[in-house]
Amino acid sequence: MALRDNVASVSGWRWRAEADGDRSARARAIILGLVLLYLLLFLTSLGSGASDTSFWSVFSGWLGGGTDSLPLRDRVVIWDIRLPRVVLGSLIGASLAVSGAVMQGLFRNPLADPGIVGVGPGAGLGAITVIVLGNTVLEPVIGIFGIYALPLAAFFGGIVSTLLLYRVATRRGQTSIATMLLAGIALGALAGALSGILVYAADDQELRDLTFWGLGSLAGASWAKIWAAGPIILAALAAAPFLARGLDAMVLGEASANHLGIRVQRVKNCAILTVAAATGASVAVAGGIGFVGIVVPHLLRLTIGPEHRYLLPASALLGACLLLVSDATSRMVVAPAELPIGIVTATLGAPFFLWILLRQRGLLDL
Amino acid sequence: MAIDIDNLSVRLGRNQVLHKVCLSVKPGTVTAIVGPNGSGKTTFLKAVSGDLPFEGDVKVNGETLRYMPPWQAAAHRAVLPQASSLSFPYTVREVVKLGLLGGRSGATPAEEKRLPEKALERVDLSGFAGRFYQELSGGEQQRVQLARVLCQVWLPVLDGRPRYLLLDEPVSSLDIKHQLIIMNIAQTFAASGGGVLAVLHDLNLTARFADQVAMMHRGRLVASGTPNEVFNDELVSDVFECRIQVGVPPAENRPYVLPQSAQISVKSSF
Repeated sequence: MALRDNVASVSGWRWRAEADGDRSARARAIILGLVLLYLLLFLTSLGSGASDTSFWSVFSGWLGGGTDSLPLRDRVVIWDIRLPRVVLGSLIGASLAVSGAVMQGLFRNPLADPGIVGVGPGAGLGAITVIVLGNTVLEPVIGIFGIYALPLAAFFGGIVSTLLLYRVATRRGQTSIATMLLAGIALGALAGALSGILVYAADDQELRDLTFWGLGSLAGASWAKIWAAGPIILAALAAAPFLARGLDAMVLGEASANHLGIRVQRVKNCAILTVAAATGASVAVAGGIGFVGIVVPHLLRLTIGPEHRYLLPASALLGACLLLVSDATSRMVVAPAELPIGIVTATLGAPFFLWILLRQRGLLDL
Repeated sequence: MAIDIDNLSVRLGRNQVLHKVCLSVKPGTVTAIVGPNGSGKTTFLKAVSGDLPFEGDVKVNGETLRYMPPWQAAAHRAVLPQASSLSFPYTVREVVKLGLLGGRSGATPAEEKRLPEKALERVDLSGFAGRFYQELSGGEQQRVQLARVLCQVWLPVLDGRPRYLLLDEPVSSLDIKHQLIIMNIAQTFAASGGGVLAVLHDLNLTARFADQVAMMHRGRLVASGTPNEVFNDELVSDVFECRIQVGVPPAENRPYVLPQSAQISVKSSF
């Protein structure tokens, strides 16, 4: 008992569960808080930027009869520059965080992340192929799909690598976590090598595009990009809540989930499709934005618990919030220029994650 | 109404690990599967749970298991696996609540809210609801899982059909008090009209609590019947490969096996 008390006091840094173990009330309160935080960040982001169009002019403009009453310049700044950026950032933040949460639930491992286990690189390879070969070898094919070619290629890159990974790591219905991580590393290396060949063949402009694309950025946000990636991401986000029950059951293992009445294979298929779609689309329009998918679900599990019916919507909200904050930071640090957002999320996210791991060391086995 | 197992065979790779097992698990009874390590007990239970592909036929209350979708099977039976580890910080209550996922506990919605607490009380874990599952000892985790399984089939009979508990070594890491508590739960479940099929290692617990014993040896069912019928010196000695004398006290009329009466026949190869 003494040992148990000791463990409890050491682990007192994280939020303790309620005495009756029911964290749903707290989860709902935190989700409500995240909704409010998101709305605040949404309006703040809309009202801040390189130009002096301010939050208050946006706000009073809206109050006084919609955006039409604003000066034309402000209207363009808000409607064509800031709003697409805020919308795209929200979509991508939500999609990365939810993909991470679903992936971790599917593999029953808090370290699974589309970026780490090779899905991201697969989607990246698809996108790089279009960037480099789009104007030459693949032009006839790309021409058919137009602006949708890039997200589609990333989408299929993501799906193919997810499926490969799952095939390799799963045997007789049991997914081996070690195999999954190793296979993910191998798959990432392979995708990296193939991307390398394309980089080798690329010209200077393509190289520059590739480099910035790889760092991740919301700088090119436009309504066209939102129309290309938004529907895929929204569909994936809409599908996620239906996975919650199955993912909760899967936490006990696939056999037990089946005993509880879950169609395990169907849940796996849906989860794989959701992750591949969301990751593929996000990577395509914004490049490689790291650590959102690991940090956000992990942080939320510590506060509201791992039940997916709360974890998934909360991840979407916190992911969107995090990306809006990171985007604001990326624009402020070196204003009037801006940093690629992937640099910001990794710079903020990686040390924070290390800190969590240090605090948790020896207490709970990951 | 029963779980009827007819000529069940299982292959794992090239090895045939189960050979044409026939058994009937009747409602109102506790059936124990006993046998030495590697005799196919767990494989048998897994096949009956629907985890493994098998040849032969398993019927649950007259319906063929093979054609049953998971949600339907989940309404008929709950399964306690040997060990469950979780990778996320679930509270005990959250784990037990997973048993209610299928929505066929049989309790009213009002009752269902308190069901995790009630189930925990049954397995002698009142007050543990707010603890983290990962911080519990092995025996406590095992009882949390049993509470979850009980939630799934809270009423032993639903819509006039008996329901079943399939338990794989439910008392393997428990102290003697909790062994008795868990076996009592199984007995009560059966007495209320449900059926229980459990893999057990302890022959004495089996003798005391089982109505039917199925003894397995090298993937075959070598005997089934009441403990008194199955536990005889010759059969037990043969199956467990050591000389055992089964005792029967006159009052209880249940056989017992003492380690003092058993002798290992060591092959003298050196």
